[in-house]
Amino acid sequence: MKTIANIAFRNLSRQKKRSVLLGAAIAFGVMIVTLINGFAGAFVSNVSDNFSYLLAGHVFVSGVEKTGAKLDKEIEVIRDDAVLTAALKDAGVPAKYVTRRSDFDGSLIFEGKKVFHSIAGTDLANERFLRDRLVLKEGSWDNMKDPRAIVLSDKIAGKLNVQVGDRILVSLKTAAGQNNAGEFVLAGISFDTGILGSLMGYANIAYVNELLGLASGEYMTMGIMLDDISRTERSATALYDRMKASLQLFDRGVKDEKGATTPFMAMMRKQNREQWNGVKYRVFTLNDILAQVQQIVDAINIAAFVILVVLFFIVMVGITNTFRMVMYERIREIGTMRAVGVQRGEIRSMFLYEALFLAIGGALAGIVLALVAMAVISFFNLGMDSPLFIILKNGHLSFRVPPFQAVGNVLVIAVLTLAAAFFPARNAARLDPAVALRTLK
Amino acid sequence: MKRFFAALALAALAIAPVFSQAPDVSKILRELDDMGDFSGRDFSAVYTIVSQKPGEKETVTQARMFRRDGRKQFVLLIVMPEVNKGQGYLREDDNVWFYDSGSRKFSHSSIKENIQNSEAKNSDLTKRSLLDDYGVAATTEGTIGKYPVWVIDLKAKNTEVSYERMKLHVRKDQNMILKEEDFSVSGRLMRTTLFPKYADVGGKLIPSQILIIDELNPGEKSQLTLTEQSVAALPDSVFTKAFLEKVNK
Repeated sequence: MKTIANIAFRNLSRQKKRSVLLGAAIAFGVMIVTLINGFAGAFVSNVSDNFSYLLAGHVFVSGVEKTGAKLDKEIEVIRDDAVLTAALKDAGVPAKYVTRRSDFDGSLIFEGKKVFHSIAGTDLANERFLRDRLVLKEGSWDNMKDPRAIVLSDKIAGKLNVQVGDRILVSLKTAAGQNNAGEFVLAGISFDTGILGSLMGYANIAYVNELLGLASGEYMTMGIMLDDISRTERSATALYDRMKASLQLFDRGVKDEKGATTPFMAMMRKQNREQWNGVKYRVFTLNDILAQVQQIVDAINIAAFVILVVLFFIVMVGITNTFRMVMYERIREIGTMRAVGVQRGEIRSMFLYEALFLAIGGALAGIVLALVAMAVISFFNLGMDSPLFIILKNGHLSFRVPPFQAVGNVLVIAVLTLAAAFFPARNAARLDPAVALRTLK
Repeated sequence: MKRFFAALALAALAIAPVFSQAPDVSKILRELDDMGDFSGRDFSAVYTIVSQKPGEKETVTQARMFRRDGRKQFVLLIVMPEVNKGQGYLREDDNVWFYDSGSRKFSHSSIKENIQNSEAKNSDLTKRSLLDDYGVAATTEGTIGKYPVWVIDLKAKNTEVSYERMKLHVRKDQNMILKEEDFSVSGRLMRTTLFPKYADVGGKLIPSQILIIDELNPGEKSQLTLTEQSVAALPDSVFTKAFLEKVNK
């Protein structure tokens, strides 16, 4: 069998130009599919990373309380932090750090200029990661000692035409939905180096709570940053199970029968239907928020697979024709081989080996080409103000090809190529040696 | 002549306590509530809202309003500008839905939301209950133009209302609000509303011209004008989602 494989390999190198062209066709298809897979693979992790920093966590806990005369209004609030902190500790969640935030969307107003912006109330003394990631262009973190201090991005500060120290009016709605107004003092202007800087302003949670009508010590969302994003679901389940023992909780991970497409959507719908007293908690993860993103990625992967199949159907037609031609060219050679005792199965194997070598060679070349293309594409900095920023990694397009997917693609190509070469190989094997030797080309 | 002035001064002194007497604010508020309440009959009108914002072109929004206060229902159908024509708001009890004629979809909105891009809110066009929602914090006297007014300082009893505090300037001689100042929860003046013109609709005095001034954004203001007011009965089908969908077909 080794001899047959050697002959097959030698046959491929005899017709270098043809082999290279066929291999290039396979390589091109593999390159395109690997690029798409690579983009889809990094898509989820980039969006997850960007959102985890934006939302300050991988696992989240929020509280909802029913208010109003008919208990038909809802406010987002966590009133008892101690009970959550204890549950977090008991659940053994590997938290790198825990953030407690209240936030709102409101209008920032300065001398006739107005910008609608999201403001997150944070505990800047303890939220160290924010200080680490948010680089100030002007002002300093010491200015945040002012209870009304706010940090805005360069872009937002530019739109409002404000300088550090300026007083900025803010118009917003309280947690209960009433109109409120306040005044921030610009403590710092951050570089637009990431989505942290451009999508949100940061203020002291105490003042944000005051504006929202929440009491001191209360907040809207607890965010838990984990050591490792892959532990997200396990940690959320552990925390959920621990909280379930003593707190009111919304079910998680269950879709309802009324058309909710994600468990998170089902949880939100349930919240609107149910009545309860006090604070009811929901535990959710970045994956819940980004469930739609996973659906997009699944769609991209399906599209990539369809492209792979279509491309290889075309390549298969080429391979089948080429091998038919090869069989015709080598018909006397096949006759000689058969005459000296080479069996039919070995002739068939020789053709199939040729196809397999071609497939593996082309696929490996395709993967190498794809890796080179990825390196070149990811070299370009698209900037954080790019509309694509949410899928970028620090301003660059990035790729991640899951190894099993690459191996899977190679296997698919190998099988398809073997299938394409099978019929010409079988025909070659069935040739009568005497007829083959008599045949004139 | 001296005697005449002395008599006039005495008369003025005599009647002064009558005019400065503390008013029955609850009665005033009840009458104001009654004036804007069309319970038992329907109300419809066309509102023209002209909004001005510094550095922007003046925008004109025209909407036809159908109200049935008895059931806490209203339908607001946008007829102008052309780009928003067919959009509408439907209120049923405490729920407000916004209908987008472009996507043909309803989304949940709120009575506290602004109408289109103006300073006016849904709650400005509907029945309100000052007496139920607000408590009287103080009452003083003042004047608006040539009219002596009661300045009634109200504080919200619940969080259901848009503004935590409001100051009403009500004519002394007739229960008509001439000016309303709305304050934020933090106590900052957010909005001033002037009511220069009233119209008699079915025996009730309702403002036919309203000027809303945004106090946080200098230069931003909206003027509402009411025309084609009517208290004629409306078909039940008007206060349905199907109506908003149908008028767009």
